[in-house]
Amino acid sequence: MNFSQWLSTVKLKWAIFRSDDRLIVIALAGFVGVCSGLAAVALNRALHHLGDFAHGLHHHWWAFVLPAAGASLSALFLNTLLKERAGHGVPEVVYAVSRYGGLLRFRSSYSRLISSWLTIGSGGSAGPEAPVVMSGAALGSNIAKYFSLKERQRITLVGCGAAGAIAAIFNAPITGLVFTVEVVLGEWRAFNIIPIAIASVAGTEVSRLLQGNQIAFGHRQYSIGLADIGASFGIVVLATIVSVIFGRLLNSMHHIASRPNLPHWLRPAVGGAAVGIIAIYLPQVLGEGYGAIQDMIHGNFTAGLTIAVVAVMAKMVATALTLGWGGSGGIFAPSLMVGSLLGLVYYRLLVMLVPSGAIAGEGCFALLGMAGLVSGILQAPLTGIFLVVEITGSYEVILPLIIVSALTSTFCYYIEPGSFYLRDLIEKGQYMRPGTDARVLSDLSVRELVETDYLTVPGNMLLKEFIEVIQQSRKFLFPVEDYADARYLGIIFIDRIRPYLFDTQMHTVLMAEQVMETNVPQVTPDDELVDVLNIMENARLSSLPVVENGRFVGMLSKSVLLDHYRKELIVQTGI
Amino acid sequence: MEERLLHVFRNTPLGRETLLQSLYFCNTLKVGLHIYVPQTTQFLMYFDHDAVQVDLDSSYMTLPDCAQAHAAELAKQYGLTPTFFTPKNFTASQLPDIPSNFNYMCCPRSITDLSSKLGLGYIGPKVRRIVKSSTFPVFLTSGVFKGWKSVAVFYGGSSNANKALSWGLHLSRISGFPLDMVTSVREHSDDYFDQELQEAGLYDAVEQHVRHWHKIAESPFEAHLYNVPHDALLVLGAYGHGLIKDLLFGSKMETIQSWMPNNILLVGPNCGFRGA
Repeated sequence: MNFSQWLSTVKLKWAIFRSDDRLIVIALAGFVGVCSGLAAVALNRALHHLGDFAHGLHHHWWAFVLPAAGASLSALFLNTLLKERAGHGVPEVVYAVSRYGGLLRFRSSYSRLISSWLTIGSGGSAGPEAPVVMSGAALGSNIAKYFSLKERQRITLVGCGAAGAIAAIFNAPITGLVFTVEVVLGEWRAFNIIPIAIASVAGTEVSRLLQGNQIAFGHRQYSIGLADIGASFGIVVLATIVSVIFGRLLNSMHHIASRPNLPHWLRPAVGGAAVGIIAIYLPQVLGEGYGAIQDMIHGNFTAGLTIAVVAVMAKMVATALTLGWGGSGGIFAPSLMVGSLLGLVYYRLLVMLVPSGAIAGEGCFALLGMAGLVSGILQAPLTGIFLVVEITGSYEVILPLIIVSALTSTFCYYIEPGSFYLRDLIEKGQYMRPGTDARVLSDLSVRELVETDYLTVPGNMLLKEFIEVIQQSRKFLFPVEDYADARYLGIIFIDRIRPYLFDTQMHTVLMAEQVMETNVPQVTPDDELVDVLNIMENARLSSLPVVENGRFVGMLSKSVLLDHYRKELIVQTGI
Repeated sequence: MEERLLHVFRNTPLGRETLLQSLYFCNTLKVGLHIYVPQTTQFLMYFDHDAVQVDLDSSYMTLPDCAQAHAAELAKQYGLTPTFFTPKNFTASQLPDIPSNFNYMCCPRSITDLSSKLGLGYIGPKVRRIVKSSTFPVFLTSGVFKGWKSVAVFYGGSSNANKALSWGLHLSRISGFPLDMVTSVREHSDDYFDQELQEAGLYDAVEQHVRHWHKIAESPFEAHLYNVPHDALLVLGAYGHGLIKDLLFGSKMETIQSWMPNNILLVGPNCGFRGA
């Protein structure tokens, strides 16, 4: 075989490979997982180094300025240097998946990593998980763009990036898979699961290779009895209340922070300075809080009950100050810490009330609190369950975990219909999963559906002349225009003017504008199809005139809409 | 359905010249004008395979309160009623999404850098991204308003060039202005171009509509661009070749935009073929 024959064979095999939607996604999933895993490890290591450096300065009287300086630098980097208008990472990924098929900017693959390193490493109360999800998702999106993949494939690779990132940062592959499917993509499809699982494993392996195969918070044995299962219902109530309060505090802090007219670099510094002042009295509020979580799980949290209660509130406030005033980071890690503290507080209260109650140690309840908070804030019970199980290696607590996670997320859903990540999107009507009615309709437009092959008639046309027009047409309706300026006036429906058609005396008497309907609702080419369909249903019409700047453009019919709807649905779901 | 042009308005004397170009374009081609008056210094455009964040230079935020009035007043002189577009969706609170389902977009040569860089040979990186990703041609305006009276298509025989030619034919038909073609024939014979036109189904249209086909055989190509009418709208394909080919063999688009002060309509690789 000579070179040109070999090249032809390779091209043919590549064409076959590319022609199958799934094969190329599976092939790229591992690569995306590795890339996002590397990003997660890089941020993790960088946070450790900066955190150690900052810790060495905490004994100084001016140490409270450190979080302010970090947050300020983060804002300068994001807004001035990169000109990136930062959101909170995960909502932006969900928005991109919902509306634009997972299109994310390349700069998002590194911008949040650096900005969150500055914020969290200097002591800001936030988590690195959301930035690495953003980074991994952006990497997946741009890799898909490089290979000119279809929308459905690109969305899957976005999920792969998110999964690889979460799996790497927690050394938890199943959590990466479950989080992505439950929160980012919002759908369980065979097309997605396999590549995302591959990416999760790839991200985990990268993390293990570079950081060792360690469980994030160590492992302890717990003996779970009926008393513990019964007691876990109490955690459900507390976790629900605290989740709702935490979410509302975060949202309200955004509004408070937006009121004073401050330069964009100074606003985060205000929040950071406030965190620094809180940290003078409660240093546990700084950073992700993994050290404190570790102590709580192992039963080494020595502070009293009062301090623990204050710490719950302080951590929530510190997180709201950090993120609400413009710092960069996520709420995952703070939720874990608040949850652990909550579980610990609950356990100590229980022991005070029922000293002889045979329940497992406070470490176990710290785990349950973590699961409750994560499930409540994110409304993702499976993520809460698998996260706690994988990062602690504690499979014995899975039954109370399921109870706490499932019930907390359910109760939170009844109080707050959207999770913290999705609330804004739902309120603005921008939360649209691919393949849903809202998403399909948002991808279609009146402009592309309008039929323009309608013959218009002037308003002063006699019925006699109009009959000649009807004889040569197959349409059952005719738009009427003003004979002077072609302005749209109304529509003639053939079935409604039958009496006049068969009355020859009317033929030279009636004009088109006298038999037309003027009260037919009209739409414009820029109207949303959701609204157009509502108008059709309310008016019981199967077609509507499309009018732009007072001129008739065409008709929009339900049958054409249904035809395009079906085609778009097939594109979005691949079914 | 009426075609639409997107214009991002800059409320400055330079922005006035750019808007005058758009108004002339819309008036000549019966295209609807949609004007976006920016309220933030960034916006996002989502295309099929790319999300382009456009970082506007600060001059776009000049006197926002009277920007719409200024634009409307200019449009009135042409008897046009523009639609002032307001973004409905936002990727972040200060990052609006601008739809990309237009038929044309008007850009100066740079929308990110300072006006001082508006000269020959420079096309800003964001404008380039838009040209590469958009499904519509991008109308690059000259610095000062001048009404074009003919259309000149730079034709190289590639598939992108065929697209550009189809757009040129369309513009010529709608406007009623004559159409010229310009081709460098150093690398290929006349038969090659005739064959390409036949395969693209444009040969007959060229025979009927093209006024003058300037075939430049001499080198350097740019030295003979003087024959292109000063008041022609130039239409040419862009980014149809790969990066390596451009690096090795150069790009005609870069040469033309470096030498010609005319208004240019760039037809990018994702633009559709303009039908009859």
